Amino acid sequence: MTKTDLNKHKVVTPDEWLEARKKLLIQEKEFTQLRDKLSRQRRELPWVKVEKEYVFEGPKGKETLADLFEGRSQLVIYHFMFAPEWEEGCPSCSFWADNFNSIVIHLNHRDVTFGAISRAPIAKLNAFKKRMGWTFKWVSSGNNDFNYDYHVSFPAGVPKEGLEYNYGKLQIDSPDLPGVSVFYKDGIGNIFHTYSAYSRGIDIFNTAYNYLDVVPKGRDEDNFEFSMEWLQYHDRYDR
Amino acid sequence: MSTHSTGTREEWLAARLDLLKSEKELTRRSDELARRRQELPWVRVDKEYRFDTDEGNATLADLFRGRSQLLVYHYMFGPDYAAGCATCSTIADGYNGFGVHLANHDVTLSAVSRAPLAKIQAYKRRMGWTFPWASSSGNDFNFDFNVSFSEQEQREGSIEYNYTRGGHAMDETTQLPDIVIQNAAMCGTDGLTYTRDRPGMSAFALEDGVIYHTYSTYARGLDGLWGMYQWLDRAPKGRNEAELYETGGMWWRRHDEYTKS
Repeated sequence: MTKTDLNKHKVVTPDEWLEARKKLLIQEKEFTQLRDKLSRQRRELPWVKVEKEYVFEGPKGKETLADLFEGRSQLVIYHFMFAPEWEEGCPSCSFWADNFNSIVIHLNHRDVTFGAISRAPIAKLNAFKKRMGWTFKWVSSGNNDFNYDYHVSFPAGVPKEGLEYNYGKLQIDSPDLPGVSVFYKDGIGNIFHTYSAYSRGIDIFNTAYNYLDVVPKGRDEDNFEFSMEWLQYHDRYDR
Repeated sequence: MSTHSTGTREEWLAARLDLLKSEKELTRRSDELARRRQELPWVRVDKEYRFDTDEGNATLADLFRGRSQLLVYHYMFGPDYAAGCATCSTIADGYNGFGVHLANHDVTLSAVSRAPLAKIQAYKRRMGWTFPWASSSGNDFNFDFNVSFSEQEQREGSIEYNYTRGGHAMDETTQLPDIVIQNAAMCGTDGLTYTRDRPGMSAFALEDGVIYHTYSTYARGLDGLWGMYQWLDRAPKGRNEAELYETGGMWWRRHDEYTKS
């Protein structure tokens, strides 16, 4: 467990604290309103029709992108980093999954189907999912271009510079990177891509980080070589 | 929905890049707010609180479980509720899954409610949750941190919730909003009893044996801590509940109360 000493902090009376807290509340409310506004703008984005046929390997066999909607009109995909040659899914994505696993049932009741997609073969996905005790739908895109088309996997053998991720050109050293993509299916079966987010754009889906943002030490990752150095699979922490 | 504008990938990308700028700005503002939260002064907690927990009688310091930071989710479960609040349940479904990560980053996340421990334990078992959940039955903790209020305060209209007096939908005492009545019914209680408890989140620090209150948030301040809404905010239909609110409906249920669909 990481344990950084808290700096000697300013201590005040309840009244003084309340005054400071109310000032911060104004900024927090502005932030909430700004977030609501962004959500509206996001929904105003134009959509792009998905013309390609994608077939995935699911727990019960082959499934098309249309099948993944499971009868609902909205589909949210978490691009879970799990390259075919890896033996375990990415630890950071596993942290994200620990956040979304139990809320999928609620999303399902607001016309949203949720799924994760990775390139690793379905047998590896199934085994890892079982180990982690997760119940969300997870399919393999190992035999199609889905991950490349949505810019979360990068072909080997091409120069690492200039690969597109998060809408920019980057030098990318990992075969897979994380993201979230959203699709809509209309009444006659047309599928549209509506939204994708990557990098820190998916920060907000990790509710645990939002919890850390309200504790005294905050995310407390400055002294690490990389931000999530403290993180383990949920079954690998020392008791 | 079918009238939504469509475009080529290039047109979409141009609009998306515009939005990305605003999204990055929001992320930076979120980081900035987190810094300001950390800069808030602290208040020393001198009062002795005794809680009932799975491990027996416990002090506020005990709730830290050896860590230096404590995050309390003020779970709405009043002594007269038959079950814990269904809305709080959707928040708890989130932190039940990731509490283990916070625990390994020097944060203990614990729920606290006024219901007696036996009721809390039965409900927690029903929901299959594992996070620590203490009963503040018999102490002033909930009242001191502005998430429980007396009948008198309710009658007089002197409730101060979310740092202001009146103005919150739960402050209404004559024409209760349908969503309040529905939530109350799902807890087997009436609207006024239901709204004498409120949701919130409080943070504490423990240093050299002294406890400090560092932060509390209520009402929509909890929105960012409520995982399911961050996902719905990305879906084409968004939260998709405005109409439901007009008709008084509430779409979410406890996770074991949805009919199979």
